[in-house]
Amino acid sequence: MLNRAEIIDKSFSEKVKSQQFPEVGVEVSFTDLTPYQLIDLFESQLISRHLDLRARELKKDNLCYYTIGSSGHEGNVTTALASRPTDMAFLHYRSAGFFIQRSKQKPGTTPIYDMLLSFMASAQDPISGGRHKVIGSHELFIPPQTSTIASHLPKAVGAALSIPKRSALGLPGPLPEDSVILCSFGDASANHSTALGSFNTAAWHAFQNRPLPLVFICEDNGIGISVKTPHQWIARNFSQRNGLAYLYCDGLNLIDAYETSKRAIDYARYYKKPVFLHMRTVRLMGHAGSDVETSYQTLQRIQNNEAQDPILHSARLLIERGALTPHEVIKLYEDIRSRVWHVSQQVITQKPLSDIKNIASAITACREQKNPPILPNEDSRQKVFDKEWNKLSTPQHMAKLINWGLTDLLLQYPQALVFGEDVAEKGGVYNVTEQLKKRFGTQRVYNSPLDEQAILGAAIGLAHNGFLPIPEIQFLAYVHNAEDQIRGEAATLAFFSQGLYTNPMVIRVAGLAYQKGFGGHFHNDNSLAIFRDIPGVILAVPSNGADAVKMLRTCCDLAYTQGRVCIFVEPIALYMTRDLHTLEDKAWTFTYPPPDEKIALGETKTYGDGETLILTYGNGLYLSLQAQKKLNNSNKTVAVMDLRWLSDINYPVLYQKAAQFKQVLFVEECRVTGSLGQTVVAKMATEMPNPPKLSLHGAADCFIPLGPAATAGLPSVESIIDAIQSLRGER
Amino acid sequence: MIQQKKRLVVVCPGRGSYTKDNLKSLMGRKAVSQAVVEMDQWRTELNLPTLSSLDQAESFKVSLHTLGEHASPLIFACALADFLEINRERYEVVAVTGNSMGWYLALAMTEVLSLRDSFSLIQTMGSMMKTGLIGGQIIYPVIHEDWTLSLEIQNQIQRIMAEHNQHHEPIYISIVLGGYWVLAGEQNSLQEFSKKLPKIENYPFQLVNHAAFHTPLLNDVSQRALIQLKNLDWSKPQIPLIDGRGVIWQPHSSDMENLYDYTLGHQVTETYHFSNALTVALKEFCPDHIVLLGPGNSLGGSIGQILIANQWQGIHNKSDFVERQKTSPYLLSMGMAEQKKILT
Repeated sequence: MLNRAEIIDKSFSEKVKSQQFPEVGVEVSFTDLTPYQLIDLFESQLISRHLDLRARELKKDNLCYYTIGSSGHEGNVTTALASRPTDMAFLHYRSAGFFIQRSKQKPGTTPIYDMLLSFMASAQDPISGGRHKVIGSHELFIPPQTSTIASHLPKAVGAALSIPKRSALGLPGPLPEDSVILCSFGDASANHSTALGSFNTAAWHAFQNRPLPLVFICEDNGIGISVKTPHQWIARNFSQRNGLAYLYCDGLNLIDAYETSKRAIDYARYYKKPVFLHMRTVRLMGHAGSDVETSYQTLQRIQNNEAQDPILHSARLLIERGALTPHEVIKLYEDIRSRVWHVSQQVITQKPLSDIKNIASAITACREQKNPPILPNEDSRQKVFDKEWNKLSTPQHMAKLINWGLTDLLLQYPQALVFGEDVAEKGGVYNVTEQLKKRFGTQRVYNSPLDEQAILGAAIGLAHNGFLPIPEIQFLAYVHNAEDQIRGEAATLAFFSQGLYTNPMVIRVAGLAYQKGFGGHFHNDNSLAIFRDIPGVILAVPSNGADAVKMLRTCCDLAYTQGRVCIFVEPIALYMTRDLHTLEDKAWTFTYPPPDEKIALGETKTYGDGETLILTYGNGLYLSLQAQKKLNNSNKTVAVMDLRWLSDINYPVLYQKAAQFKQVLFVEECRVTGSLGQTVVAKMATEMPNPPKLSLHGAADCFIPLGPAATAGLPSVESIIDAIQSLRGER
Repeated sequence: MIQQKKRLVVVCPGRGSYTKDNLKSLMGRKAVSQAVVEMDQWRTELNLPTLSSLDQAESFKVSLHTLGEHASPLIFACALADFLEINRERYEVVAVTGNSMGWYLALAMTEVLSLRDSFSLIQTMGSMMKTGLIGGQIIYPVIHEDWTLSLEIQNQIQRIMAEHNQHHEPIYISIVLGGYWVLAGEQNSLQEFSKKLPKIENYPFQLVNHAAFHTPLLNDVSQRALIQLKNLDWSKPQIPLIDGRGVIWQPHSSDMENLYDYTLGHQVTETYHFSNALTVALKEFCPDHIVLLGPGNSLGGSIGQILIANQWQGIHNKSDFVERQKTSPYLLSMGMAEQKKILT
């Protein structure tokens, strides 16, 4: 029995031979496309189709690992022709046609070979090196996307924002000044909150007349896996939005699709406004190779769809225009089949990835490593700091020091941007960004709409155009609705592009517990597990203002020079803290570190010495130092190590240090489950040859309540002392 | 799918491939006997020595045989003979490409131009500098000893070139030729520039009677050619063609106006990227063999270096290539009798 792919394949030639073509959906008479260009588009469509067909054959032989295809969506070749090869395109997984057509604008590229390498997970795949079937290319300005639904839309908005921003700031960037950003997705994805947030953000900017040259391309095939999109849903939903122009085209008709794509792209380019391009497509051969379409669709409906095969529509168009004869169409179809087949036979011989060392080598890969800009000179610093210049030598709390640190960093890195909720005029909820807008202007320090996905997506997109984003997430708990922008997008890009693309950024997050007078879970969330398991992400948690400045500098340096994604968690409770042991001792204020001082990634600091070592960070360090002082009044002293960095821990060095102590206590301010303390203690217990006596003193696995009970389940000075004494067997 | 015929990508050679070893190589070549007669007649009308007489000369004269107006059509005739002698019962040519002047030959092989028009194109372009060469070309290696590409040498050349170009007439990359770069520019500047390149064996050395092809120095030549050759009759290629950028010209979708513009415009005045052309041929057609048409085999090393750059079929370095060529040659050079035998 023939499968649907074989039926569609066979019926193409039969229908062309007998000239049984589908009804014309839309008549478009005028076009500036030449017959040669129409044939050229058709050839790209046929290559895309034969890649799908061949992928399914290879899957049967277990040589291809991902058969989600582009069949029925081949009309997207027109969008490639209508755009420039430097118009960055964030494409969904049915975009082989676009990729092939764009390749023709960049001589020397080899799309058939490269895509087959990707299908077969070959280590030679130039974009992901066999890590995923992705459609991507650095030279074609197509960052690779995986299949997380709609997660690429927020960064498309960010990339579109970056183009006029670079011009306004007079900074050169990889994207030309008159570029447009393209972003494609399916009709089902258009329902995703991530997509809706992106349409909203784009329109929010456009509504305020902020330039944003972006074309959203909704390739509407009427179904998402098995769920039908309601008739007219996309058109009705998106044709009347403030700030978002809407255009419709028939993606089965090369001329209509090209002319409308061109109008959409021209509009976005010249008016610098977002457009929603609604393109009709059909889905052929099911959602993916493993999808049995008949389990949720009638055969009649499947056949009706197949009758609308876009390459049949294209064949009709070319034959009617006298550009090709039916015989030539069929020969071309078979010639391309042969070519794709022969290329696939060559690609089969290429080795797939195998060992984990190789696979993981791409996690933090960066092909374009840069030198950091030189430090700003004293004159320019004095000018920017203005009235605060003379205060730099007086001890300050963490919030003020971070503010000064950001000031120097914005001065040193002209590409750096600070944005987030309330960061501009208000200067942030905790005044950490106060005066920055005044110092650096509205293009570099600005408020974002209230949507964390939009903030982090913007950071990724801005980074694609050479910016160094320093976005702020107002509270740790607010990251959660936008987690995928870090986990699925920012952190994976280097991995899926072998470092051809990176997402340099430093995400500042105000978080953790112990706030006085401002309790409740959502402002005191005390779990960092969300970041800890993401490969390659740097996680910094400073415990004092001087460290914070020096660690922030390291983060910016690593982001800029090596394209790293850094999460910089600022303990809110320590922002304004001045005293350590006694009222007005001001022992937790520090002078501003000279601009050339940094704390290296993984570098720790140990306070004091003794027979017991406390490992900790953040608020835990602050409390442990207080406990240390009290304990040191006895004859058994305690050393306290501030880990500072919760990622990139140098375990061999840590073990060496720990081995010098009789007991090691990890003071963990986060909920124990999934905490760093849990990991470190477990690792020490299992990996050290003769581990010291170990214990973990962490926060209860509970959310933070409001009011006086806010600290009930958290480590305190007293509980730390208790834990030490228990560990020593003194209780 | 079972493919009966072996699939070939044919490479047409460039200038400099007809050497003293190729004298008398046109004699008795039935495939082109009529073509040579016709070309001899056209050359006689132009007051030029016939190809037959040049080919049958007692000795090879650099001052005669390497001149563009003679070398170009001689190479064309030899290459055409080879191309026509490929046994089409057993082999299918799936794409044709060429190096530099080889592009004009590729247009002839794929029947974009008739014999008459191919001759006119090749003869005209070969005679553009009768009154004196415009600039010159040098060749320089950009590979390690094992024929793998050296980024370091490439960067070094770029650095020297950028520095040199600040004070002298500019030097350009004329051809990216596998493990070699052909660099070109105004003659005095080129001589100065050559002195700045570290000597590697005999390199850099100047290509005799070669102008600064594929550089803006030939803008005037391009303009003249566009006028002089405007009446050529361009037809769609019968076989896909791959140009000096790596663009594939497909039989049905090729716009002849664009092909004419490229051939006499960009192709004449911009870098000819033979490495890209052959890489596209390899990866987008995956032929069973690359066939290098004669005369000679001077492009063989460059082709081997491009195979190495692409790690093609397990060929990672010079010794892999040499071994492969010995045991089961992937590159078949028609200038080598044994390999030619395989194809004819």
